[in-house]
Amino acid sequence: MDLCITQFGGIVWSIVRRYIKDSAEAEDVVQEVFTEVWKKAASFDPTIASESTFIGMIARRRAIDFLRRQGRQPGFESLAAAESFAQPTAEISSIVCDPETVKTSLANLPEDTRELFHLFFDAGFTHPEIAEKTGLPLGTVKTRLRRGLIVLREQLQRIGSPNNQPAS
Amino acid sequence: MNLLDPNFRFEELCAGRALGDLTREEQSELTALGLELGTDPDLAFELLAASIELDFLKSTVEPLPVALAARLHRSAAEMEASSVIVHPTFGIGRRVLHHPFTGWAAAAAVALIAALGLQGTSEISPLQAQQKLRSQASDLVDRNFSGLGIFKNASGSVIWSDQLQQGYMTLSGIPVNDPKKSQYQLWIVDPKRDEAPVDGGVFDIPTDGSPVVIPIAAKLALTHPQAFVITLEQPGGVVKSKQEQVVALAKG
Repeated sequence: MDLCITQFGGIVWSIVRRYIKDSAEAEDVVQEVFTEVWKKAASFDPTIASESTFIGMIARRRAIDFLRRQGRQPGFESLAAAESFAQPTAEISSIVCDPETVKTSLANLPEDTRELFHLFFDAGFTHPEIAEKTGLPLGTVKTRLRRGLIVLREQLQRIGSPNNQPAS
Repeated sequence: MNLLDPNFRFEELCAGRALGDLTREEQSELTALGLELGTDPDLAFELLAASIELDFLKSTVEPLPVALAARLHRSAAEMEASSVIVHPTFGIGRRVLHHPFTGWAAAAAVALIAALGLQGTSEISPLQAQQKLRSQASDLVDRNFSGLGIFKNASGSVIWSDQLQQGYMTLSGIPVNDPKKSQYQLWIVDPKRDEAPVDGGVFDIPTDGSPVVIPIAAKLALTHPQAFVITLEQPGGVVKSKQEQVVALAKG
């Protein structure tokens, strides 16, 4: 566990801080993340995602869940408590989720979608902030981000399809 | 793209879930559609969102604050000292880990535990582990089980520590089950955590009458459990119980 903290502590801290600005609160959530990593280690499949993606997923979920509980869900404060990041679910489609493949697939997305992804995932803007920056209606921002994620998953599913695997 | 297609709408809501932008109404819609379509949200969206975020984050990863790192290492040491691997002793039958990832995780678990350095567990019996928890936890929830319906002879107790995220049931009077036909499953009601009861693990009762100690395998971190419910389910347990056969209930 010490090794895990040393190796992934910075990633977890950086992700959590993007969602939770208060340092003390962020520290508590980081602690929750590592407790969950400990408990969920058996859920990990290295053939589906890297360790950092797996831990990053837990960090995002914990941070967003914290905001939901606090009524401070990013971008949807008035609709807080709406999301329930419950138990990871039974379904997982066959995708290739390694960083290089994801990066390549991101580059294949339409430019306007990439720009929204950049504003949301990189710059850390909320949906209303993105709407203000781009001049797009809030609902459009939400829909395009969601559909962008769906398109990306479809691309990765195609890459992960057995038909696309090189013959051995 | 057919916007009226429930499958497409379901996908859209799954993506929204991963982005953390579902409204309360959409969350309900996602649950209802999942039931209607007989499927669960695709975890791939969450993995993908994390992967994208990490890709963008790569150049700006900040180191852990020194004080926080020290706190985490201390907590890790405490967790390792208090963690246990339980074995089927004291008449306890096979403990089945029911988890949505079970199928693809089993083989990988050892690899990850090694890769992440998650070692350091000690091997003690469930009874010893239960006693250890009683002596260590300062926030124990302690409830008594009462049998219901045809299981009226069931009795026992349950202890749980939010702080240590550990708990044990001591059960008696519950009929022996045939694991090939049915298994018992624990559900934990924690309204602060979620509206739906949290899966507390699947277990068997191998001997009739005599008390058995069973570790709780909560699949989510609990914050304030209000009730513990045992149901009889299909082998391997279920994701959501219809509560057709409720065996026992423990609440404050």
